[in-house]
Amino acid sequence: MRVGPKGVNIATSRLSPAAVGRGFHLSMAWLVTFLFILPVYIAFSNTFKTQAQILDGPLELPAPFTTDNVTDAWNRSDRLVQDGLINSVLITVITVSIIIPLASAVSLYLHQSRPALRRILTAILALGLMVPPQVSLQPIVLLLQEIHLNNSRTGLILANIGGGYLSFATFVYMGFISSIPRDILDAARVDGASDLRIWWKILLPLLRPATATVAIFVGLWSWNDFLNPLFIIGPLDGVTITTGIYITLGGFSVDFAHLFGVMFIAAVIPIIGYLATQREFISGLMKGATE
Amino acid sequence: MAWLAVALYVAFLLFPVGHALFLSLTDRRMLFNEYDFIGLDNYRALPGDSRLVASLQFSLTVVVSVTLASNVLGIAFAVLLNRPTPAFRLMRTLVFIPQVLSGVIVGFMWQTILAPNGILNVTLVDLGLVDQPVNWLGDSTLATIAICFVVSWTTIAFTTVIYSAGLQAIPTELYEAAKIDGANRIQAFTRITFPMLASALTISVTLSLIITLKLYDVIVVLTGGGPANSTRSTAFHLVWVAFEQGRAGQASAVAMLLLAITAVVAYLTTSLLRRREVRL
Repeated sequence: MRVGPKGVNIATSRLSPAAVGRGFHLSMAWLVTFLFILPVYIAFSNTFKTQAQILDGPLELPAPFTTDNVTDAWNRSDRLVQDGLINSVLITVITVSIIIPLASAVSLYLHQSRPALRRILTAILALGLMVPPQVSLQPIVLLLQEIHLNNSRTGLILANIGGGYLSFATFVYMGFISSIPRDILDAARVDGASDLRIWWKILLPLLRPATATVAIFVGLWSWNDFLNPLFIIGPLDGVTITTGIYITLGGFSVDFAHLFGVMFIAAVIPIIGYLATQREFISGLMKGATE
Repeated sequence: MAWLAVALYVAFLLFPVGHALFLSLTDRRMLFNEYDFIGLDNYRALPGDSRLVASLQFSLTVVVSVTLASNVLGIAFAVLLNRPTPAFRLMRTLVFIPQVLSGVIVGFMWQTILAPNGILNVTLVDLGLVDQPVNWLGDSTLATIAICFVVSWTTIAFTTVIYSAGLQAIPTELYEAAKIDGANRIQAFTRITFPMLASALTISVTLSLIITLKLYDVIVVLTGGGPANSTRSTAFHLVWVAFEQGRAGQASAVAMLLLAITAVVAYLTTSLLRRREVRL
């Protein structure tokens, strides 16, 4: 195989073995990728077919094309989709916008505290990433009953903010804060700026990439969360789009066309969000994971 | 501001864990406020609880097979997709999609495929590969395999991304030097690629373990724990004892067991794998 230093093959009139090898590699990679996301393709393409088309040729492209499944899902008489989307948007937006100031403030505090104290507090925060949500769920429900916030969106939002998401967000911010030169914060302090001012005027603007990571992941997780909304809000007092699908369509569903229509509406927002922010997404995943 | 965060964290994480420990020593039931201390009785009842023992066996199966599959295949995918061209970047983007979907959507998606009248059976019958539709989710063994398969599908999505980032951090000079020394592809992989992926391996093994230990959503939607309770994870069992049976005390003992298992597994894997990173 005649290959140049950077894998550039020496061109010949016929296809060189290296080019054939590369073509083979590319087609293998596409084949594996396609097989891997085949379930996503099935769900996506079948959203735009009738039930009969789905059962006739589940793998075929949607021709003729119909948007009935999506509009039927949207126009359900129980308003599953509308109510679920409203609740999901509210819960997600409020959770994210409260967790951002809280976690960045905690990380500033940890950054300025003595190393021994910081180690202890970091270990306590790490607990939040490890504890399975099922372990703390029942005591949380009992606590919320005690303060009469059970079966409410407020209770769910409080549980979201105080749980593992806070640990994750704080660790993301800590990773970024340690890369900010200490001099900047010290100079501000010498100038007599208060902690609150330093946090708001200097730190938050500098931490914008970390905020993007936190918003993306905490947003995705609270949007997709199933366990907490199912038991904290409860089936009778409102659903998110995620629990709503389960409660209304649970068990074996025979009407695939309708199921695909509802699933499409629920999944399209996180997928578009991911595709739009994928650069931050992947780098955020790496940063979050290395903490 | 930081204090508000601390208060919420104490109220909704530390206190609940402590409260679960306290409840595990009582006979508290969900709908009654009165309870008595019964010492370690809830813990003594654990080994005799056949559903719990079955759930531990099921969880062990899932945790081991999913962690193995998602890391072996994650490395394989990452190596396959590790080219700097836009086409490969697009493929790496697509492969992550299962991680973006909620467990509920994943469960329903695979239900439309694996149900008795589902897409897999329709296709297999059309192709003449089977005479009768196979009841993938109606048989204990097949359902267990299906759960492992579906969960691996979601975890492979993130292990691939983590290993891809690990691969991109390997200096190409190492491979050029190896080529000059006459190393073949397999030697390059075992001597350079795999050791250089050590920290990526630590991250993705630990994450796969923690994620599968709390497995819940996919099971609820795909099998509901059946058939014949054969696909109930320990986390699923815990929620069932707590909210279906309403036995808060007993559930808390299960919760403490699950927490202890998670803590030990997380501690052992990170310390073992970190030590391995240092050695390499």
